[in-house]
Amino acid sequence: MALDSAKKSELLKKLEQGVVEFEDDEVRDAAQEWVDSGEDTYDAIFDGLVAGMEEVGRLFSAQEYFVPEMLMAADSLYIGLDILKPHMVARDSGVKGTVVIGTVQGDVHDIGKNIVKMMFDVAGFNVYDLGRDVALEDFLKKQLETNSDIVCLSAMMTTTMMGMPKVIEMIKEKNPNCRIMIGGAPITDDIVGKFGADATAKDASNALEEAVKMVVSLREIQKEANAKN
Amino acid sequence: MTQATMTARERVLRTLKGEKVTPVPCFSGVGNVTTKGLEKLGYRFADLHNNAQMMAEAAMTTWELFGYECVVIPFDLCMEAEALGCVMNPYAETQELLYPTIKEKSKLTTEQLRQAATPELLQRGRIPLVIEAARIVREKVGDQVAIGSYVLGPFTLGGQISELETLLKGSLKKPDDMIDYLDAMADVIVLVGNHLLRNGIDYISVREMGATSDVLSPRVFKKVIFPALKKVADNLASPNILHICGSVLPVIDMMAECGYSALSIDSKTPMKEAREKVGERTVILGNFNPFATLNTGTAEDAYNVAAQCVRDGVNGVHPGCDIWPTAKPENLEAMIRAVRETSV
Repeated sequence: MALDSAKKSELLKKLEQGVVEFEDDEVRDAAQEWVDSGEDTYDAIFDGLVAGMEEVGRLFSAQEYFVPEMLMAADSLYIGLDILKPHMVARDSGVKGTVVIGTVQGDVHDIGKNIVKMMFDVAGFNVYDLGRDVALEDFLKKQLETNSDIVCLSAMMTTTMMGMPKVIEMIKEKNPNCRIMIGGAPITDDIVGKFGADATAKDASNALEEAVKMVVSLREIQKEANAKN
Repeated sequence: MTQATMTARERVLRTLKGEKVTPVPCFSGVGNVTTKGLEKLGYRFADLHNNAQMMAEAAMTTWELFGYECVVIPFDLCMEAEALGCVMNPYAETQELLYPTIKEKSKLTTEQLRQAATPELLQRGRIPLVIEAARIVREKVGDQVAIGSYVLGPFTLGGQISELETLLKGSLKKPDDMIDYLDAMADVIVLVGNHLLRNGIDYISVREMGATSDVLSPRVFKKVIFPALKKVADNLASPNILHICGSVLPVIDMMAECGYSALSIDSKTPMKEAREKVGERTVILGNFNPFATLNTGTAEDAYNVAAQCVRDGVNGVHPGCDIWPTAKPENLEAMIRAVRETSV
């Protein structure tokens, strides 16, 4: 049974509100109803779940939400995503990329990294999550093994952030085309330049936006290279 | 005794009692060992954590080399967690200079924490080693300089022992269970803190950085964090300092209400506004960013930042976090000179 537009917007609202208010059951029911209808779930993910997460990001910036609220919303989003994703018709958006992500050695804080990873998961990136307290050379190993487009490094402390330039140097030496994004409390635009990284972002939505831009530019570089050959 | 003849120890202890000391002391409640200090001794940072003699010697170097007005032990944040059954990683095998972290969490429940809060706990992990280090320091420095130590606050210690994410979500989902858990944690902290203060430690910091307002809403702080922090303050001997970094302006009135001898804030909390909120009676230590001031800035920057802290009305110039070992010696010297030369 197909969804009429009134029903669609009702379910989208439920998914969005469900994420914003961490109503797991609401999200689960709405996602299931959408799947049962047999419709493509693309809109449910992006106009429902992701729209909800964007609102959560806004509330976080406005200091109405804090980290616990963000984590609860992320849980609700994953509940919906697990139901909806297997039924999404793949789209050739041309931006699907591969990402290696982790928190650098000495740092056991991975909450921010997990939120960014969630955005990549939603967008359909292939994500290799190395976890937290990751030995610096393991980033290089995984990048070489997967030939990932992007490596994302996270650090919550100023002091562990100092491991980042070493990883960046190792990776850029082996694979200059690999794009490197760094993030975490102590990271500023100034540090991105100093460390030789390619970008940072102020939150998870912006991190995804940056990542998409990077993959698009990498694909162009590859196209040009192929054309020359 | 005139202020000029006061020892560094007296200057710090009087400040923590709320007396006005001029110039204000320049000291820390948290770790401070420099690469210069380590080079002088020929020690590696990773080797200090499990050896009382090396810990003591290294902790004294910032006082000996720069006249920094404290000796603080230990250097890492794992002592209580280890006593509660967690396993620490000292990063002995890595080339990078890293602070130890917990690699295996014991995940004690509220009930288990209540059972653990007995004097037997005080013989576990490195608690005896830190007390031994305090004895070695005292033998060397006598009454010249105060010996500081620290314990983690209930929420932050909880994050060492359990998954932080579970605690953060619990603060919203099951606040009553969290309040109970942190209440049990408070007993452990009081037990360890009082033991340190009875055995050679002159002042103690309670580091509750996990509950900063960058992470938790003031609403959750009031409901879940405050009762445990207040319980610690009510039962911990003096002098004690409550340290929370990040922006804490929204909760600083509650921090003051707990009743610690002093509050310690970092550069993300503007001093003047903090003072306006809590008034003159609360001792406030702060509030410079140690990494930006001592490691990446110039000596002139360090001088200016420290002088500004004094002009903004701190009762002691205090870093917002550990002094990272690669701090530039000339910056440390400039900071200490600025504090001596600046009056309000």
